Amino acid sequence: MLVDGIRAHRWWLVGAGIGLIALSLAPLFLMPFHVRVVQQILFSAGLAVAWTILGGFAGYWSFGNTAFIGLGAFAAGLLETNIAIDSPTLAFVLATLFGCAVCAAVAALLAYPILRLRGIYFAIAMLGVSQVLGELTNNIDAFKGSLGIILPKLAPAAMEPQVFYYYLFLVAAAGTLLVGFLVKVGRIGYGLLAIREDEDTARMLGVPTERYKIGMFVVSATLTGLLGIIYAHSLGYITSGSVYRTDFSLNMIVYSLLGGIGTLAGPILGSFLMVVLTQVVLGRLLDIHMFITGALLVAMVMLAPRGLLGFAENLVRRRGAGLRTVEP
Amino acid sequence: MSLVLQTIVDGLVLGGLYSLAAVGFSLIFGVMNVVNLSHGVIVLIGAYVSYILWHALGVDPLLAIPVAMAVLFAFGYVYQRGLIQLAVDRSSLLASMLVTFGVALMLRNLLVLVFSPDFKSITPSYAFNFFTLGPITLDFVRLSALGASLVLLTFLAAVLRFTGIGRVIRATAQQDMAARLCGVNARHVYGVTFGVSSAFAGASGAILGIVVPFSPPDEALWTINAFVVVTLGGVGSPSGALLGGLLLGLISTATAQYIGPAFPNAMMFLILVLMLLVRPAGLLGNAFSGSR
Repeated sequence: MLVDGIRAHRWWLVGAGIGLIALSLAPLFLMPFHVRVVQQILFSAGLAVAWTILGGFAGYWSFGNTAFIGLGAFAAGLLETNIAIDSPTLAFVLATLFGCAVCAAVAALLAYPILRLRGIYFAIAMLGVSQVLGELTNNIDAFKGSLGIILPKLAPAAMEPQVFYYYLFLVAAAGTLLVGFLVKVGRIGYGLLAIREDEDTARMLGVPTERYKIGMFVVSATLTGLLGIIYAHSLGYITSGSVYRTDFSLNMIVYSLLGGIGTLAGPILGSFLMVVLTQVVLGRLLDIHMFITGALLVAMVMLAPRGLLGFAENLVRRRGAGLRTVEP
Repeated sequence: MSLVLQTIVDGLVLGGLYSLAAVGFSLIFGVMNVVNLSHGVIVLIGAYVSYILWHALGVDPLLAIPVAMAVLFAFGYVYQRGLIQLAVDRSSLLASMLVTFGVALMLRNLLVLVFSPDFKSITPSYAFNFFTLGPITLDFVRLSALGASLVLLTFLAAVLRFTGIGRVIRATAQQDMAARLCGVNARHVYGVTFGVSSAFAGASGAILGIVVPFSPPDEALWTINAFVVVTLGGVGSPSGALLGGLLLGLISTATAQYIGPAFPNAMMFLILVLMLLVRPAGLLGNAFSGSR
């Protein structure tokens, strides 16, 4: 089934491969500022795709995925600053594995009780989880959340740091996209879709809903944690306020919704448009930045509730229908 | 012993304010299943209305309550009919949550632009009067805030229980289809519910101005408080909001007193998550509707 799915979508894979090659060559031609913008797009797109694996495919909208950005970043950071290994690269690799493992373990522990909730209750429970973790990290001295952690510098001397992190983000985002793709075209993808449309019926028809939901929750959390760890290193210094950020949680949803919920191209398109808009176009209008973001959010839900991809699909379909009626 | 008593009294006084601030959120959630993330910003608009009246005209904050309620009733009605209802029709309930979040961002930005991000407070002449009752200290402001909250909550409960529009609101909350078949104009009822909810949020804002200083970014905290109150007490009823608010007040003052001043928020969210897992319908809610 997975092989059939991959075969049916082979042109998507070719397209993604070409995109990947173009992106890996891009830093050679771009100015440092634009490298940073693309890096931000890769980070946001990776987060949005990781969110989509549960939120978009199965309809379980988490409002607190930033919990795993923070958890991954702090778990990795604490290990890295306390471990006695000379090679910073090896320490980073170990810390990354440890951070991802912590995210997976916490998600697995949380999954059974929290995934019994649906809709708004699940969304708010996740918001609560992220706030609890953030507050605890901030207030318990052992986690150094308020004091902050200084992370070691990783970029090799021959390379500009922003280019180095650009490639890390590129690898992580491409990996996330690949996982999302394999989930979507395989058996699990259809199961998740069935859960989104009608969970009780899906369960009655023999879809192992519980197992799929828990599995995808863990996968989504681990990928989010991985991106969080890289993000923390690209900052160099983290406090609980810089990684447990509610706006991260909301951006994942907004980007996915803008592009088209339940698709993989949607979150990428949404991240691209919103990051370019907020970083480049609105960078100078800090006073009314929040107002414009809010207005965009409202306009988006009102005008294109199925996202830009859905909007485009409607346009194409309408034009097609129009042509058909003209023909005799 | 007196410390325990003082903590309990402080908690109850704070809880009265939480109850009033959350009752509107609870009503909207109960009647139309919309989670109104702009609730906190509406509370703050009430506070700013009363601030303007006190600052410019010297009106007592407690007398500003009716004005704040009238202004915000109109705002709430128009907001529901003009935006929320359209969002629910065109998209989904979860997407309507995003619309209310967008509106909250816009209004918060406007408040910052108009009133600056600084903290404001309302200090009427009796602000620093207090009296002692045995070992317990009570200040006049907090006591009048608690009194006003209780009066308004009782008033809302009576309206919902005994008047015609109250009966229609309750009927629509139970079964909107059946209510519509009986000739209820459900959209108008939704608008009125939203207006009433916003009016009570505004009233709580007018009162909170004399109890604590406020600034635009606080709105997120008031929204989350409202959600915790509703999850604790139960959706859709003034009594649930009262119980939840008093409990939240007790929990946060007791946590600050006995665990540490930095922990009330962590405790609040922990209880929120635990309540959602154990009893999502709240203490007074019926378990039937729950989260499914």
